[in-house]
Amino acid sequence: MKKKLSLMLLVVLAFGLLWVGVSAEQGVMAIKAGKILTITAGTIEHGVILIEKGKIIEVGKELPIPPQATVIDASNSTVMPGMIEAHTTIGLRERFEAPGADETTDPCTPQLKVIDALNPFSKDIKEVVFGGITTALITPGRLNVIGGQPAVVKLTGTTISQMVLLEPAGVKISLGEGPKQAYGAKRRLPSTRMGSAYLVRKSLTDADYYLNQWKEYEKKKATDKEAKKPKVDLKLEPLAKLLEGKLTAFIECYRTDDIMTALRIIDEFKLKAVLVGCADGHKVADEIARRKVSVILSPMGTGPRRIETKDVTINNAAILSRAGVKVVIHSDASLGVGAIRELPLAAAFAVKGGMDRDEALKAITINAAEILGVADRIGSIEKGKDADLVILSGDPFHYLTRVEKVFINGETVFEKKEQN
Amino acid sequence: MFQRSVVIAAVFIILSGLFIFPTEGEEKVIAIRAGKVHTVTGGIIENGIILIKNGKFLAVGKGIEIPEGATVIEVPQGVVTPGLIDTHSHLGLGPSGGITEDNEMTSPATPGLRIIDSLHPRGLMPHQDSYLDAIAEGVTTVIARPGSGNVIGGLSALIKLGGETVDEMIIRFPQDMKMAMGARGGALPGYPATRMGTAWTVRKAMNEAQEYADQWEEYRKEKEKNKDATPPKIDLDKEALLQVMKGELPVHIHCGPTVDILTAIRLGEEFHFKKLSLGHATGGCKVAEELAKRGVAVVVGPQMMVFDEEREELVNLADCLLRAGVKVNIMTDADVVQQEFLRFQAAMAIKYGMNPEEALKAITIYPAQLVEAADRLGSIEEGKDADLVIFDGDPFDIMTRVLRVFINGKLVYEKKGES
Repeated sequence: MKKKLSLMLLVVLAFGLLWVGVSAEQGVMAIKAGKILTITAGTIEHGVILIEKGKIIEVGKELPIPPQATVIDASNSTVMPGMIEAHTTIGLRERFEAPGADETTDPCTPQLKVIDALNPFSKDIKEVVFGGITTALITPGRLNVIGGQPAVVKLTGTTISQMVLLEPAGVKISLGEGPKQAYGAKRRLPSTRMGSAYLVRKSLTDADYYLNQWKEYEKKKATDKEAKKPKVDLKLEPLAKLLEGKLTAFIECYRTDDIMTALRIIDEFKLKAVLVGCADGHKVADEIARRKVSVILSPMGTGPRRIETKDVTINNAAILSRAGVKVVIHSDASLGVGAIRELPLAAAFAVKGGMDRDEALKAITINAAEILGVADRIGSIEKGKDADLVILSGDPFHYLTRVEKVFINGETVFEKKEQN
Repeated sequence: MFQRSVVIAAVFIILSGLFIFPTEGEEKVIAIRAGKVHTVTGGIIENGIILIKNGKFLAVGKGIEIPEGATVIEVPQGVVTPGLIDTHSHLGLGPSGGITEDNEMTSPATPGLRIIDSLHPRGLMPHQDSYLDAIAEGVTTVIARPGSGNVIGGLSALIKLGGETVDEMIIRFPQDMKMAMGARGGALPGYPATRMGTAWTVRKAMNEAQEYADQWEEYRKEKEKNKDATPPKIDLDKEALLQVMKGELPVHIHCGPTVDILTAIRLGEEFHFKKLSLGHATGGCKVAEELAKRGVAVVVGPQMMVFDEEREELVNLADCLLRAGVKVNIMTDADVVQQEFLRFQAAMAIKYGMNPEEALKAITIYPAQLVEAADRLGSIEEGKDADLVIFDGDPFDIMTRVLRVFINGKLVYEKKGES
């Protein structure tokens, strides 16, 4: 009797296992691609990508496709990793709304978090996904000296927690005309460049003091249980993390003098930092390279030119890249050929300006993932990474190439309709 | 006797003039032999020859005889198009975000302003080289416009981008009256805060111009009876609007969503605007038939693709309007998109489905037709101004470079280096 029961149990168990196995098998998706731009391991002609539970489980040339797998035939197309827009304010403000990226009531607002302003249903976000951009660093604007805490988010989901990949992703700092004009108009500090630099320095000095208070407290606590806990300061917390190297400083600067001020501050406080904008980067490429600081730039300057971006050149990305700087290309315009949706064409302009093609591809994928601190999850087509993929009709740098399909976490988030 | 000698002298002067001028004005013929010539109005000519003389196209075709002594330019891989035209530009009028030279935002209606008084022939800081940059990417003619800060912005000018002075550059001034729908000026005192306020601003200005016209008419009648009648005071703003009212001056209206487009059309019908054209008109697809029916042209850009929220898809605005029978131009709205990216604005339209030949027309012959200068501009045809661009490949491909640009038969740009 007992034996019979255990036999039955075994049979049930076996069926159960089989059933689980089958269902998992059904969850596998296989993309047969004409060309796979893995980014980190070269190009695979006629390759296969296997996806399960939102992850890439295998990529290669002659992979056996599990019989139950859903097959997506992209044998005439090119597959690349979902692209990353490494610095943008989309989703923080809907068109016709009041500005949402700059809290211009105080020039230093490190305590602010973009996730508290981000609208997952923003149509700007949808539009960008249509272009094959799957992840973005959403950041405060350039009007505050210290703008707040950016976040790396996937461009899909109905809640922030579904979208967030990394938060906080750093601290946004801005030098040059932005804060100068915003606060100069109010007759407040900073109305000069030195004013902005002073505010960064002061804030970081305060944060250093704050950090030491906490360190001392931790020390005292070991011997004295009654030790007085310092007050938590929301403004200084993220800056303290900057000083500890736990967060990255994204410093927006365009002109040579602002770039050098940024580098001076980076040296002084030993910051882990990325330069954003960097229109004059080509003039001080060696200074940037020497410090192993990466840059996020827009190579074409299609959009409105400001006085501090007048020297932008199409060769900027190429010159910096050749000097050994890790370059990330982003699109800082919102309209026309410069729109964020057209990110690969921004990279194409960098190629036209002399940048190596492979480097330009990295500049919108893996390089961005690395400087944003999420390269373990995205930025290339590799086993174990998130299945964020774009199926393209051809060369990503050609203007006639269209996005056919976009996946985020293995889910289809865009599919081109036949008629257009 | 005296009279006769004067006549003889005059005849002599005229005759000698005839002798002198042809030889002085006689320029060498320039012959361009190119792999592909987009004439725009006469098809594509493979291995075509273009002859230029005295700033005009002398001939274009296949196997044309090149006159002896001509300067021959051989570009076997070259692709030639007419000089590109942008009918909605604020090129070189000041830094974006700063105080610009195209928006006199001290009053919402400033019809008497003339954009040529703000233009610098090279462009203002930080755009002091913007004209040269634009030429280097093949843009040869633009309409420089007052901005959309004001409801009635002022008088636009049709200019060529070659010349040392603004006067030298002008093809036609005034070209049209610039207006703008939507809520303008934000919270500025004296500015309308709503769309209906904006429409009222136009209506009020047009009615006042009508009153002004009536005053002059009365004065004329009065003067027949009384020679000492006092004329009304000349009002420069109303004089400008009077030209609009008489149908002498076209009107170009900045519009955004459909509501603005419909208001622009309504005002146009109410005041009999001649040759009404709209700028941007992002909501244009929804009322494309209405626009086509009325012959209202649309200058599309800098936003080329519009997100349709109902269908959750991107709509190709230029293509959609064109298919409905609307006359379409493509713009940069420089410097919202920099002037030199005009061909890439058209490339965006092609990428999302517009016929490439139509897209080329939308930055050449269609603008020329819109500005009523198709006898001089917009295509490579005998007798037209010799404005042309030589590319090293598909003009819409990002990798393609401009090799040479001619304006009025003069070489104004040549790529340095390998070619």
